[in-house]
Amino acid sequence: MRFGRAARRAGGALRRVAAVATLAACLSAAASAVGHEAAPLPPLDFDPPRPGTYTLHRIMRAPDGEVLGLDGHGQRLSDFTRGRITLLGFIYTTCTDPDGCPLAYRVFETLKQALAAPAFRERPQSNAATATAVEARHGYAEARRASGGLGGPVARPPMSSMIQLVTLSFDPLRDTPAVMRQYAGSRVNDGGRGPRWYFLTTRSARELVPLVEGFGQDVRHAIDRSNGKPRRELSHVLKVFLIDPAGFVREIYTSTFLHPQTVLNDIETLLMEGQNANELRRLKP
Amino acid sequence: MTLWRIWRDGLLLVAGMAVACAVGIDVARADETCNSPYITKLIKGQEDYVYVWALGVEGVGDGADKLVTVDVHPKSKGYGKVIASVAVGSRGEAHHMGFTDDRRFLWAGGLAESKIYVFDIGTDPAKPKLVNTITDMGDKTGYLGPHTYYALPGRMLVQALSNTKDKGGVTGMALYNNKGEFITSHAMPTDGGGDGYGYDLAVNPKKNVLLTSSFTGYTNYMRPLGDLVKDAEAMKRFGNTMVMWDLKAMKPKKVFAVPGAPLEIRWSLKPGDNWAITAAALTSKLWLIKPDAKGEWQAKEVATIGDPAKIPLPVDISITRDGKGLWVNTFMDGTTRYFDLSNPQAPKQTYAKVTGKQVNMISQSWDGKRVYITSSLLANWDKGGADNEQFLRGFTWNGKELKPTFELDFTREKLGRAHHMKLGSMALRAGS
Repeated sequence: MRFGRAARRAGGALRRVAAVATLAACLSAAASAVGHEAAPLPPLDFDPPRPGTYTLHRIMRAPDGEVLGLDGHGQRLSDFTRGRITLLGFIYTTCTDPDGCPLAYRVFETLKQALAAPAFRERPQSNAATATAVEARHGYAEARRASGGLGGPVARPPMSSMIQLVTLSFDPLRDTPAVMRQYAGSRVNDGGRGPRWYFLTTRSARELVPLVEGFGQDVRHAIDRSNGKPRRELSHVLKVFLIDPAGFVREIYTSTFLHPQTVLNDIETLLMEGQNANELRRLKP
Repeated sequence: MTLWRIWRDGLLLVAGMAVACAVGIDVARADETCNSPYITKLIKGQEDYVYVWALGVEGVGDGADKLVTVDVHPKSKGYGKVIASVAVGSRGEAHHMGFTDDRRFLWAGGLAESKIYVFDIGTDPAKPKLVNTITDMGDKTGYLGPHTYYALPGRMLVQALSNTKDKGGVTGMALYNNKGEFITSHAMPTDGGGDGYGYDLAVNPKKNVLLTSSFTGYTNYMRPLGDLVKDAEAMKRFGNTMVMWDLKAMKPKKVFAVPGAPLEIRWSLKPGDNWAITAAALTSKLWLIKPDAKGEWQAKEVATIGDPAKIPLPVDISITRDGKGLWVNTFMDGTTRYFDLSNPQAPKQTYAKVTGKQVNMISQSWDGKRVYITSSLLANWDKGGADNEQFLRGFTWNGKELKPTFELDFTREKLGRAHHMKLGSMALRAGS
């Protein structure tokens, strides 16, 4: 028994090394064409706490509203923020501030590449119960039924399929579905490599505003008086939201704290939380 | 509806967005020298307003705590004058304030209660409006006397000074989202050398650390200072620690012994710097918190402020944006001091000026050219009689001399005791 635990721990450590190596390789990879170009991300300047050793509290419920997919059809945003762990960021395609949209794009791209790699694609045994819990709670019942139902063998989807990326424009005038499709490039149809990445926009400011304000994504006019002549401009500060499968925002990243390694740790922490919840349920008479 | 108006502007919006992003407007990682690094929109030019959180005084005006907005733009006709005042309807030992990360709201509170007032300063920075009063901190956490309001992304971390049970110094932090909804709380450590006390907090996001300091509880800070200093037992109940936390995990990593009530914490804002400084009020010392050669965080006494035997009581500090200088206000002798921090291991006082009969808070503009000072420490600790000056004073600083520019007498204006300050700008108006 003790040996088995030690072996699992050792196996977990090896998988972690592999995952970190994968992430490091993705971090140093050049940015792909289309979307935002940005410089490679530097490594973290600290050792983050290990996944599962900390709590991500429910900050707020993610707002809901009407959005447009790349096909131009209206859908609820909650269709893209529930049932899986979601990483959502607001962008506009013309943004060039290196600490803004391009940084978010680079982080999303790095995560997608990392989660498509074997270290994340192959489900570690230590995460099997985690996956089961998430599947049971958040929409993988189909997979269970297909594999023999409860009590039977469970078809566990890869970790990357429990995660989704959402990029939502806050420039409905310019970022039409067609523009967003161009911005997304090959990430829309990538043959299922890594997590799905959804590119969304809205029909109008009227539909967008409740989402922007609900998330607390600040967008405002600034008055630049540097040249003595007031000039109205719009500015925003990068925020990326980690949303749990139940639709609660569990972490908010800004440019000072947005890094693929911390995001991956947080995702794993949420997955482990699902595992613990499932075990508690099983212990109940 | 504000944002709806923004988008209604149509093409101007699109053009503006492109320009704004291209010039990278104020996507800030630091505020004007002493705020949360998550707060956006630096005022790098001339500030338009100073918001003063004033303690109500019985028999002075309406007697209530109030947020006072002062016009400080030198080219304004109302320069140095009060342009708005929002009373909160009661007196609760108004003390400190803090911006939300989007700088649209200003949170403020008093040490005599657990209420937190939320002012909208984004809609019209010249006319703050009280939009929310958070009343559940005591019930949710057992903490009393919210002191520091520190913006985290989408959240506000509130450091309290006391607790509702025995009103002593054992306390903790409360976390709210920007809507004012309670999320969770974190107790100050009482093991591993921790005394459980709290005062200020400050984050270094690049290192994933949160640093906290310690003061004293309600039973001490609400007591007349003259009585308190004669009570040897009560004088033992002051904080003597600082704590380094893992910010992400919100778990204490290390407790430092820093005797004499370490108060305000300032991280150097110079890129590449990796240290913070604080002043211990009762011992009149500056302390440096910095990693040693092995990367282990250490706290070290690095300078003396005035003559500790005379208890000058350093009560506030303000660091320059380049981390090369530090203003220190000492309450008892009414002196504003400047320390050269070129070598943070050995700060040297290079300038001193008596700026009032009692001085407390000190704030500087981002460029360091303007300095603002207020007078009140605590209602029961302020001096009496003619020494009880209550003011906001403005100065210019040319690197050699503080020159007075305006003075606002808070007693004559029937505003109360002037305590904490924050800077504002019409350029930060949300929408237009």
